[in-house]
Amino acid sequence: MSTNPSTPPSESTLQAFADMSAALTGFQSSFIRPFLDPVNLSGTFYQFAVSQVGQPRMDALMGTFASLSNQTPKLTSQQIADTLLETALDAPSLQAQLAQSIVAMWYLGSWYVPGVLGGGGFGPPALQVISSQAYTKSLAWNLAQSHPMGFSAFTFGYWSQQPASLQTFGVDTSNGGGQ
Amino acid sequence: MKKIVTIILLTVVAVTMVIMTSIPTTMATVDGPEISLSPNIPGDATFGALPPNATNEQKLLAIQGDFDIYSWNTFIALNWPPGPDGNGDPNKKIGQNGDNDTVWEHYRDIADIFLPGGATPSYNGPVSVPTQCKASYKPGMRIISQVGKTPTVLTEFSQPFNTGPIIDQNGNYTRFEILVNKPMFDYILANNLYSKAGQKAFTGEVAFPCGGPTGPEGAIMVKSAWKVISVADKARFHTQTVLVYSPASQNPKYAASCSPKLMGLVGLHIGHKTDSASQWLWSTFEHVDNVPTEADVASGKLKAKYNYYNPKCSGAKCPPNQIPPRPWNPTKVSMFHSQVVRMNMFKGNEFAFTSADARNADALKLLLGVSSKSVWQNYELISTMWPTNTGKCQATPGDPLGTPAPNFLANTTLETYIQGMVPNVSSNCIECHNNATMTNAKASDFTYILQRAQ
Repeated sequence: MSTNPSTPPSESTLQAFADMSAALTGFQSSFIRPFLDPVNLSGTFYQFAVSQVGQPRMDALMGTFASLSNQTPKLTSQQIADTLLETALDAPSLQAQLAQSIVAMWYLGSWYVPGVLGGGGFGPPALQVISSQAYTKSLAWNLAQSHPMGFSAFTFGYWSQQPASLQTFGVDTSNGGGQ
Repeated sequence: MKKIVTIILLTVVAVTMVIMTSIPTTMATVDGPEISLSPNIPGDATFGALPPNATNEQKLLAIQGDFDIYSWNTFIALNWPPGPDGNGDPNKKIGQNGDNDTVWEHYRDIADIFLPGGATPSYNGPVSVPTQCKASYKPGMRIISQVGKTPTVLTEFSQPFNTGPIIDQNGNYTRFEILVNKPMFDYILANNLYSKAGQKAFTGEVAFPCGGPTGPEGAIMVKSAWKVISVADKARFHTQTVLVYSPASQNPKYAASCSPKLMGLVGLHIGHKTDSASQWLWSTFEHVDNVPTEADVASGKLKAKYNYYNPKCSGAKCPPNQIPPRPWNPTKVSMFHSQVVRMNMFKGNEFAFTSADARNADALKLLLGVSSKSVWQNYELISTMWPTNTGKCQATPGDPLGTPAPNFLANTTLETYIQGMVPNVSSNCIECHNNATMTNAKASDFTYILQRAQ
């Protein structure tokens, strides 16, 4: 399925998407969507995902996230992620498959069609790398406290020094995150 | 932690949240700075307030506006007529007589910092005059009455990464020079970074001084681009009669040469390390007649004449942004004329276009208010690159580049062939200069000039 959103998403929609992405990925929401964001990956990823699965399916997932976020007593980010990703189920729902694709999108900068599985010990094929910025800014590099091949933000010789903490790379280390 | 980073950022840029209903699409922050006719070089950008409900695009536009105002105020101050001490003379005004000598041209040329044998340089010492230039060099060729006289010699003709020269529509090679201000020179001198031996013995991390919003300027480096012009074109350019020097070359083979030429300023990069930008602020200006934009070419709305584009030649006959064919021989007039077009490097960062246009219009009014003959009315800000995520005079751990805005920025006279939007390939001031090292491969704080040490 491929649809093109006719109007840009609102600030509140993008913030909600960032908050959901933060819960799903284990990164800080303010890292996913900084106060000043000239790269705007959250906007790029939101619009790309909507173009692939349609607005209703994205709205449904974000609606579930909103209701989980508002539960009392408050759920942890890990609990919300486990629920959205249906990690305890062998056959995740269509909604959970979308959540999984969103996680892959943030970590790898590529879009994996929801529900398409790999085989023979290999992962599923990516439909495409979403953009050059998606490649250089994808979260897998941050989690590795490293950088992608062909692009480094670090100065020459950085490898001889201890990397900065996971927290400074945007990982949400509260509640044991990143361990 | 990210919240802390955000708080630091907010503090650094002095963004105070105030209540207002909306932000106009071309406006900077509320009660923010203004462009002014002043000889005082800003130590850093200053900032107004943001609206509480601004979108990401509106916030970027507003703060970009404040940085662009900083850039124009820096441009005005650096191009101010200097007094005897080399600083801007408050009793004069920029462009009051059309053209004028400038402050930055009295900064120290790097050719006089990194001396043969690693000799100790001085800020106001004698200039290096190549042997081939000595016959033509005459006191008085340029204004020599001021302290800090810089050499009247331009030697550079190739662009970053040796991507190639840019040749004007008359077949002449464009020339470049790099100069640094006294705080930057003093840091190099104090730490013996002017020589290979000094760099080898240096055990710390290179950290040039930062300018503050109310304090003195930090380290500044200026890179300029010049083209040969005719006397008839003099009224549209800042000009200098300089000695154009071409060192001898083996491939292609030509002897060293030096001759006086009337040169017009076509490009000006200003890098300044400040409290709000440990990755430095990068302001880039060009002459308004340099090149058309992609949109200009597509629409056919072209000027009759450009410095680096022939409007009567298009399509396959004159493909844009082609590296001149070798051999490159700057001592001869070339049959190849660069056909340069400014690529759209702000897709997704349209705030950079909007802000520069508004600030250019404001500056033009001020400059014309001084004199309708001011040559400075013919220069425009392309944009200012600034880090969106940084601490006070130091990078945020985990984000050494500070996530620059806009994502890409190129000056068509200085980065002609690396315009575009491909990370690590297209021109991004901060990203590129972050790779700079000294002669011993240790990081050199965003400047390549330390590699020239001998």
